[in-house]
Amino acid sequence: MSNYKKIIWQYPWRYAESFIIAIALLILGFAINYIGKNTVSSIQWPVNLYLGIAIIILLLLIYFLFKKKPFVKWLSSIPAAISAICFYTFLVLLMGFIPQGSPKASGLVHEIGLSDIVSSHAFLFAQIYFLVILGLVTLRRSFPLKGNNTGFFLNHFGLWLTLFAASIGAGDLQRVTITVSKTNAVYYGVNQKGETIHDLGVAIQLKEFNIEEYSPKAFIIDNKSGDILSKQIFYLEKGNKGEIMDWEVEVDDFFEYGVCMGEKFHPVYDIGAAPAAYVITKNIKTNEINEGWISCGSFRFQGNFLKLSDRMLLVMAEPEPKKYSSKVKIYTTSGDDFETTIEVNKPVTVNGWKIYQLDYNHAMGKWSDISILELVKDPWIPVVYFGIFMLIAGALYMFWIGNKKKID
Amino acid sequence: MYILNFNNTAFITIALWIIGLLFILVDKKLKNARLIGNLFSIIGTLVIIGFLIFLWIEIERPPLRTLGETRLWYAMFLPIVGILTFIRWQYKWFLFYSLGLAILFLTINIINPENFDKTLMPALQSPWFVPHVIVYILSYALLGVSSVVSAWGLYLIKFKTFKPELLNKADNLVYMGFSLLTLGLLFGALWAKEAWGHYWTWDPKETWALLTWLCYLLYIHFRYKNKQKIITALWILALAFIVLLICWIGINYLAVSGYSVHTYSS
Repeated sequence: MSNYKKIIWQYPWRYAESFIIAIALLILGFAINYIGKNTVSSIQWPVNLYLGIAIIILLLLIYFLFKKKPFVKWLSSIPAAISAICFYTFLVLLMGFIPQGSPKASGLVHEIGLSDIVSSHAFLFAQIYFLVILGLVTLRRSFPLKGNNTGFFLNHFGLWLTLFAASIGAGDLQRVTITVSKTNAVYYGVNQKGETIHDLGVAIQLKEFNIEEYSPKAFIIDNKSGDILSKQIFYLEKGNKGEIMDWEVEVDDFFEYGVCMGEKFHPVYDIGAAPAAYVITKNIKTNEINEGWISCGSFRFQGNFLKLSDRMLLVMAEPEPKKYSSKVKIYTTSGDDFETTIEVNKPVTVNGWKIYQLDYNHAMGKWSDISILELVKDPWIPVVYFGIFMLIAGALYMFWIGNKKKID
Repeated sequence: MYILNFNNTAFITIALWIIGLLFILVDKKLKNARLIGNLFSIIGTLVIIGFLIFLWIEIERPPLRTLGETRLWYAMFLPIVGILTFIRWQYKWFLFYSLGLAILFLTINIINPENFDKTLMPALQSPWFVPHVIVYILSYALLGVSSVVSAWGLYLIKFKTFKPELLNKADNLVYMGFSLLTLGLLFGALWAKEAWGHYWTWDPKETWALLTWLCYLLYIHFRYKNKQKIITALWILALAFIVLLICWIGINYLAVSGYSVHTYSS
């Protein structure tokens, strides 16, 4: 715009200054990791609350007392915003290429914090830089708040609040894995650091573990290597007909719970009973017919296969779970005991904990005698969600406005 | 085994679309050619919509799990957007682009036959599944068009025939695509909280989705203040789409992918 060439570091700062500052912060972050050999540990309640309030007051003070100062003006400028986006993007990009949290990580990449970027100082600086700039931009456009700034406010303040609450609240997130069984109520679990946690305030006893499974699939495998040769999806259900490679396959009989006695499978509902199917196969080329029982077996009973040729076997794969859930009895310290069912995607809330269905004993499959649950406490979630809902509203607004511009 | 035969459906659809495009190509010379062309394109699209509906019923789950299945959705949405845009604004190139890409997607699916598998892991059985994937599909379709604009723009600049209005069109597409990208990311976060206990776990797909989002965020902010720096803007737009492609397709080939809930098993 102006004809004279601006000397660097002379206000107003633009792209050169913004990027130099961002790169300096990046290098400083790497250096601190390299020299200090430590990662950023997250702060916890109530320190994070005090720090959060302090940061908000600081941002408000900076804005209201110094908004005319060129430095503060720069902090809420587009060049600063772009340098902050680039700084953050650069670190996320590294995260996209370098495997994170690998225990084998070593060398310079590890020493400057790149094997665990989220806990590195460079990432901390990127977040602070991003949040300061985003915070000041939001303030500048919010006073006075005008109607046509609605979208801007929802998007910018929503993002600021989400990132801010997620960052300072990270230290308060508790995830405890608890393995429950039918024998007695369990009142302790293991957190993500591997420590045993006793004061959960709840005890859980498994009443019943349920798995609903898909029909098992049939595959043709190599006799020697065990590699799967067929690509077709063929479900073993009574009466099902189809082709697998060069064979026409028909399921003559099928038991969800079968046990082999002598030569034959019988429908028996007993611990360890596995699905079994009686199949008839016909080779399309040679018309050779084979028939027999196949079963995937279980931890208790051996499986069975059908020999198609010297090289190929028809086998049943273990059925994949469709749904699994735990019927549990929950005891709380307040004496409020109740029974409930916890299912994947359907957590239950008790005493500030959200309880999730996590896993079970895979070797025993549907006969699993244990259920693995996860208790999660994240006190900052309402604030994060408030930010997320603002962002959703902002995105809908933006979609609508983008549309309008096109019509104009 | 299935009443549905994908190959036949795909061939019929492709044939209908090609006939439609040919009519539209000669609309100056032939009376009613545009109307007939539109009609053929619409019928072709209805065939693919019908196929998706029957497939959904047949496999007893939303057909949104594998890459091949999502390609089918693109082959449905792109023509809808393309035909509507063509009827409303008469952008011929846009119709050719959207139908052409839809034909490409169907062809990829014909070459890589997919066995539509009924199984869906329990975590994916959620009311969030459909909105999460659909907003992403729509978003990618819009951002895909913006990348065509950027490539076309870079080509025009070489021959000094570039007009800034072209980039304004890209801006609108990016605004719409970016807002859907935001929704997709947030729906994913809300879903993850219900399914896995936390809204953000830096899963490789999440990381790349965030990167894609950041690249378009960069484009929007760059365009906001630097309207005259056309070439830089065009390059940011082109690179952002490359990041999007890595997120969509390339993720399965990266060293980081490891165990990710988003790695589509085949």
